[in-house]
Amino acid sequence: MGKERNKTSSYLHQHRWGEAVKLFLYFFRIGWYTFGGGWSIVAQIQHDFVEGKHTITDEELLDLTSIGRSLPGIMIANVALLFGFRTAGVAGAVLSLLGMSLPSIILLSLITVAYTSFRENAYVSYAMNGIRVCVVPIILCASKKLFLAALKGPFSYLILAAAFFLFYFAEMNGALVILAAGVVGLFYSSLQRRMKRSNT
Amino acid sequence: MNIALLAELYWTYVKIGFTSFGGISMIPVLSNEMLTHGWMNMQEINDIIAIAEMTPGPLGTNCASFVGTRIAGLMGCIIANLGVLTPTLTLTLISAFFLEKFKNSHILQNMMTGIRPAACALIAVTILSLSQENYMWNGSLSIPAVAVGVIDYVLLSVLKLPIPLTILISATMGLFLLR
Repeated sequence: MGKERNKTSSYLHQHRWGEAVKLFLYFFRIGWYTFGGGWSIVAQIQHDFVEGKHTITDEELLDLTSIGRSLPGIMIANVALLFGFRTAGVAGAVLSLLGMSLPSIILLSLITVAYTSFRENAYVSYAMNGIRVCVVPIILCASKKLFLAALKGPFSYLILAAAFFLFYFAEMNGALVILAAGVVGLFYSSLQRRMKRSNT
Repeated sequence: MNIALLAELYWTYVKIGFTSFGGISMIPVLSNEMLTHGWMNMQEINDIIAIAEMTPGPLGTNCASFVGTRIAGLMGCIIANLGVLTPTLTLTLISAFFLEKFKNSHILQNMMTGIRPAACALIAVTILSLSQENYMWNGSLSIPAVAVGVIDYVLLSVLKLPIPLTILISATMGLFLLR
């Protein structure tokens, strides 16, 4: 218990600059080719840090992603910050965010200057068609493992179906769906515990 | 340099940041703010969404860079991005502290048993709507697009190629097949 507390406080107070700089370089590198929004960055993190370096598990990554998704702002900026904080404290959080944002800032500033010619170039648009087609396979490959980590037992399938219905058909706000699912999970777990207690 | 304009730019993007929850949910607020300020017209809003989709990085950052640069150059670009990242730098950073503190608490763990499958549902919906957008051309399924997508999937999951290399190969296939 004491050991656990020390570990937690080291997350809060140590700034581990070496790791933070590594995170900056990592996000700055992947920031150039993460097409198709936030999920492809999550896919990249899953590939490199869950399967490659084992610094984080599938469950933990999914938790950070759900929380980042439920908070206001840019989803992937939230996820990068939470991930950086988990790995290297406040310095890691800020440097991850900076590394992730810089490529898009540099690229978009250049595009803004060359806006008209970029818009009308046919070859650019053909190449972009190819890139867009690649987005779904990338997300599919990563989410396969996230799904396996999340879906255990009938309760989780029920939540999956209900959340899908609410988000896709009833067009409920995504953050609200996540929040509602959290509350249901809380009630379900305490109900389960109470039933176990009454059985014994 | 016009300080009042920069302040206006920052505040507008703070508002956009705090009222949006990821990706396309940002578009209604964004276009509303851009039109009322006269910073973009409808054509430009459509273009920036397309450009944001075609370029790496999130829509919010891309749009902030585009508008910021056009209105006030490099400084505008930096200010607008700071604005749109303000929720992350405040609310999410605070959440990160609490998250590490309560990581092992029962309440958070129990909530997560509900949140994880719900997050999967959101991913599934994202995959569905992205598929609709990327494989349907003019209302009908594009066979070459699906074929390239299947090749990409095989490259990634069977041959285990790195993601950037697969994107490069896919872009090359796009040049020849997806015209």
